[in-house]
Amino acid sequence: MQFLSGSFMILWMIAFALYYLVPPKMQWYVLLAAGIIFYVAGTGGIPAALLLTAISTYGCGLFLRNNLEKQKEAVLACEGKEEKKRLKETFAGKRKRMQILYFIVNLGLLLFYKYSVLTLPFLQKIPGISTDFVKNVVMPLGISFYTLTAMGYVIDVGRENCEAEGSFLKVLLFLSWFPAITQGPFNRFRALGEQFLQKHEFDYDRLLRSIQRFVWGAFKKLVIADRIGIFVDRVFESEASSVPGSIFVCAVVLYMLQLYADFSGYIDMAMGVSESFDIALPENFKRPYFARTVADFWRRWHITLGTWFKDYVMFSFVMSGSGRKLGKAFKKKWNGMGRHVVPIIGTMLVWFFTGAWHGRTLNYMLWGVYYGIIMSVSLVLESFYPIWKQKLHIREGKGYALFCMVRTWGIVFVADILIRSESLAQAGAVFRAVFTRLEAEALLSKRITSYGLSKYDFLLLLLAFTVWLAVSVWEEKGKDVRAYLAGRPAILRWSWYYGVVLLLLITGIYGGSYDTAAFLYQSF
Amino acid sequence: MKLKGENQKMEEKVLEILEEHCEEALDYDGDSMMEDGVIDSFTVINVVSDLEEEFDIEIDAKYVIAENFKNKEAIIAFVRRLMEE
Repeated sequence: MQFLSGSFMILWMIAFALYYLVPPKMQWYVLLAAGIIFYVAGTGGIPAALLLTAISTYGCGLFLRNNLEKQKEAVLACEGKEEKKRLKETFAGKRKRMQILYFIVNLGLLLFYKYSVLTLPFLQKIPGISTDFVKNVVMPLGISFYTLTAMGYVIDVGRENCEAEGSFLKVLLFLSWFPAITQGPFNRFRALGEQFLQKHEFDYDRLLRSIQRFVWGAFKKLVIADRIGIFVDRVFESEASSVPGSIFVCAVVLYMLQLYADFSGYIDMAMGVSESFDIALPENFKRPYFARTVADFWRRWHITLGTWFKDYVMFSFVMSGSGRKLGKAFKKKWNGMGRHVVPIIGTMLVWFFTGAWHGRTLNYMLWGVYYGIIMSVSLVLESFYPIWKQKLHIREGKGYALFCMVRTWGIVFVADILIRSESLAQAGAVFRAVFTRLEAEALLSKRITSYGLSKYDFLLLLLAFTVWLAVSVWEEKGKDVRAYLAGRPAILRWSWYYGVVLLLLITGIYGGSYDTAAFLYQSF
Repeated sequence: MKLKGENQKMEEKVLEILEEHCEEALDYDGDSMMEDGVIDSFTVINVVSDLEEEFDIEIDAKYVIAENFKNKEAIIAFVRRLMEE
């Protein structure tokens, strides 16, 4: 079930009405029911994988909670520092074993489904496995998202950073929170779980704000992302040797914007839907193309995924026994540069997993390694930057800031060629075209309009980019566009709302029966 | 009196470590230093490593959360807590 479908609108409206009609204690049941309907309608079957993850997450959480309580009692009852230490280690060992078992089950499920396409040819050869079984292995909706969310919960409970939930249905609601289940943002139980249990009252202004956010997301998706998609798809479907390098440059630059418009558009819609129920989700984008460094770019792009990997992979590794040992061994080496060894290993690990999480092809692995190397090199060189700047007489003004932004775009440009290409061979062909036969004149010839977009479409995109950029600049300055709109006279406000909706209906890209193209991140 | 002096010494040392890795953290007066990009994950790792060495403590990953790194006062408070444990 897509956000931009009639069935979703009906579900949203019914859930919304019921939510504010039922007694406060019942409100979270409405959300759970809406989530289950959304999920079952989206997958067309019983969500077995989701249920298995929810049951194991709930059970593991309770085990960890009981273990921690028993540990506290045992430590209180015993005397002697050594004995207390030994007791803590015994209990921690049990927790660790349970968590490992939990990770094996859930990561196993994720890997099985995510990489099932790659294993299908082998599965088919196993006697007793029917072709129907193999065909029916369909990746459960949102498995990449809810698995990491669930794992984060279990780690947090083990770290005592959040309380284990005693109700299975509340755990299920947390994992299946429908605005976020298909593409995030990733939630933490400590922030989201509590909100489900609070009393929520209807508020007209909040409803208006949530619709504004939803419509803004739809604008980015329908007017920008899906329109760009037509051009990019045509270019990348063409025989690479027949496409001038400049057309590929144009397609990749547009793809950078498509991915951003598509994903942030989805997040805007998800946040709008969630806000209508008075449930706040964490922001997932903060204008990434204003970033001056790649590290800054990733602090602004898919923020909740970045913090997930930082908290649960990077810090877990660096502060583990082996991480500490390595850190101590290298810290003083190479004039103090050895202190970077452990963070670099952590960074490479994080980026390898980030690549594997995003896709199952070699392109994604390479994409992850590419970012890992760039981050690591930046880390090592960071201390030299002030010296170089001084020697080269570089002053930090607007020009330098723009240069840094363009440099970041260049790095992202290369990365996006990798993930947009179907194979490494195609990525290689695109690089060759870009660097050996640019043929810039193709951009001004009729050639540019032979990939599905007319002159009118390009002009419309330019107009949409201008609006998007203006809003982004405003937000970058810390201003709240929605609050500004709310303060305008009713006639102006409503003219703007109707105008945007009309623009969406007239210029949005729709398929048959006003269906929209699937979201790009849904395939991750 | 002695305890007060030790506390002050500890605070000064924490600020010294912060100054070495992230001067901006000393002037920051908000309450979400990690989210605001004042202190990034590499800096956190270096700060944690130096704090561990300086105060002979072990900082587990569970303590490396935004709440404990929201500003310099929060870092001082959590180091103090760990030293008391």
